Amino acid sequence: MHAMSEFLRWLTTSSHWSGPSGIPSRLLEHVQLSALAVGLSLAVALPVGLFIGHTRRGEFLAVSVGNLGRALPSFGILAIVFPFALRYLPGSIGFWPTFIALFLLGIPPVLTNTYVGIQNVDADTVEAARGMGMSGRQVLMLLEVPLAVPLIVAGLRTAAVQIVATATLGAVFGWGGLGRFIVDGFALRDNAQILGGAFLVAVLAILTEVGLGLLERALSPRLTSRERGRGRVRDELAFAPPGQ
Amino acid sequence: MRYNRRYALGATLLALAFVAVACGSGGGTTGTTSPKGTLTVGVSGGFAENQIVAEMYAQVLEHAGYTVKRQLDIQNREASEPALKSGVIDLKPEYIGTLLLFVNPQASASADPAQEASALKPLLAATGITLLNYSQANDTNAFVVTKATADKYHLAKVSDLASVAGQLTLGGPPECPQRPFCIPGLKTTYGVTFGHFNPIGACDSATADALDAGAIDVALLCSTQSVISAKGWVALEDDKHLQKADNIAPVVRTSVDNAEINRLLNAVSAKLTTENILPLNKAVEIDHEDAAVVAKKFLQDNGLLS
Repeated sequence: MHAMSEFLRWLTTSSHWSGPSGIPSRLLEHVQLSALAVGLSLAVALPVGLFIGHTRRGEFLAVSVGNLGRALPSFGILAIVFPFALRYLPGSIGFWPTFIALFLLGIPPVLTNTYVGIQNVDADTVEAARGMGMSGRQVLMLLEVPLAVPLIVAGLRTAAVQIVATATLGAVFGWGGLGRFIVDGFALRDNAQILGGAFLVAVLAILTEVGLGLLERALSPRLTSRERGRGRVRDELAFAPPGQ
Repeated sequence: MRYNRRYALGATLLALAFVAVACGSGGGTTGTTSPKGTLTVGVSGGFAENQIVAEMYAQVLEHAGYTVKRQLDIQNREASEPALKSGVIDLKPEYIGTLLLFVNPQASASADPAQEASALKPLLAATGITLLNYSQANDTNAFVVTKATADKYHLAKVSDLASVAGQLTLGGPPECPQRPFCIPGLKTTYGVTFGHFNPIGACDSATADALDAGAIDVALLCSTQSVISAKGWVALEDDKHLQKADNIAPVVRTSVDNAEINRLLNAVSAKLTTENILPLNKAVEIDHEDAAVVAKKFLQDNGLLS
């Protein structure tokens, strides 16, 4: 109970809500770096996943990268990149190691979900689309991607939540973000600050989860929803040649 | 994985074999056991400097005819202090300032080792432990700059920072902004206020890396960290005595202590200094030499094994 009241006092102290080491600026740092890392993971893993899923080539590579990526400890990556980044990359201490570790963390879920999503599209449907004369690109963009969107966004959501939660590690290596409160609190044996930092990270991770969950619903094809029968995929299927 | 396991098994069997042989010979020939008895030397924590000094203690005792066992892998003071009290180990090297705060968190550590020792002595005596003479080897916090920075701003002492600190970035442990030995103390004792502070780590290689790469200008490190001498860096003299003294001193279980042990260990303390322990730490930490070999060479060079 004492810890709880200390924690609430920490959260509600006005001086903790201003300045370069206040909650808003730490939150902003955290969100910015996480968004950059998610964005780059997506930019790299999505095209590769689409290619693998569509052509069914390099699956072994994708599975290996996915599994290996999950096994890589972000903390280890940070520690290895840290001294190199100091020497060869500009910017504030700890930014690059954190960014690189988070970027690598984001790749496996996006990559795996993308190619699995594309591969799982019913083979007969793809066959039918080809029979209708769709090119490979059309099959991918008009059929496979829309049907795979729920799984792709689910991968993105996993990546984003993991990245937001793991970005706290950057504080161990001199970077800012919400992890600063946890690491500094630990150094000072200030439990209220540790709890406050952990709480803010948890809230941010939950918001990320919920936000991307809503996006996932919004982007999903509405084949199964009766009330919204005129979804995109159905429109595409309206292409059906006469006689079917 | 499998290889590791096989090696581990092999090593265990080998160790068991040695123990069996040792037991056998010990039981058979009573002549090999020393008339002066057996002492177990421990460490306060599992790091190189501590292990080197512990080896020094062990070797001077062996040289004087004691049988010495070594327990040099105890990881921290939370383990080594109870081990000493309970007699698992009989003596170990300690750091008087840190030990004082360990046995009494309310105690006030000072920059004067004599003051710390006199505060520490009765506290330890009450638990059956004797503090012997402290050495001039002081492993404390040090503000460190590269040679280039020292030359550029003409820095030799911490007080030299006062006029230039505004343009410089300090790197150190995250607790720095709150702790009297760091930012608050720099301000009140020295009138030094850095332009920027970057929280990294305490006495660790990450902070040293940051200084090496020029990401920070001044680093708070431990004064005997071997990287300081290895890189030719300058540890600024704490001319206004902001840092607590953490001189290395032997602590011995009172029940095994005697005048000869005191004389032998105090002789080691008399020779150790911050300057002469630095190359020893480097030899072990950076060049990966054996602590026992490094300690022996030091003892020989200082006439402690003759």
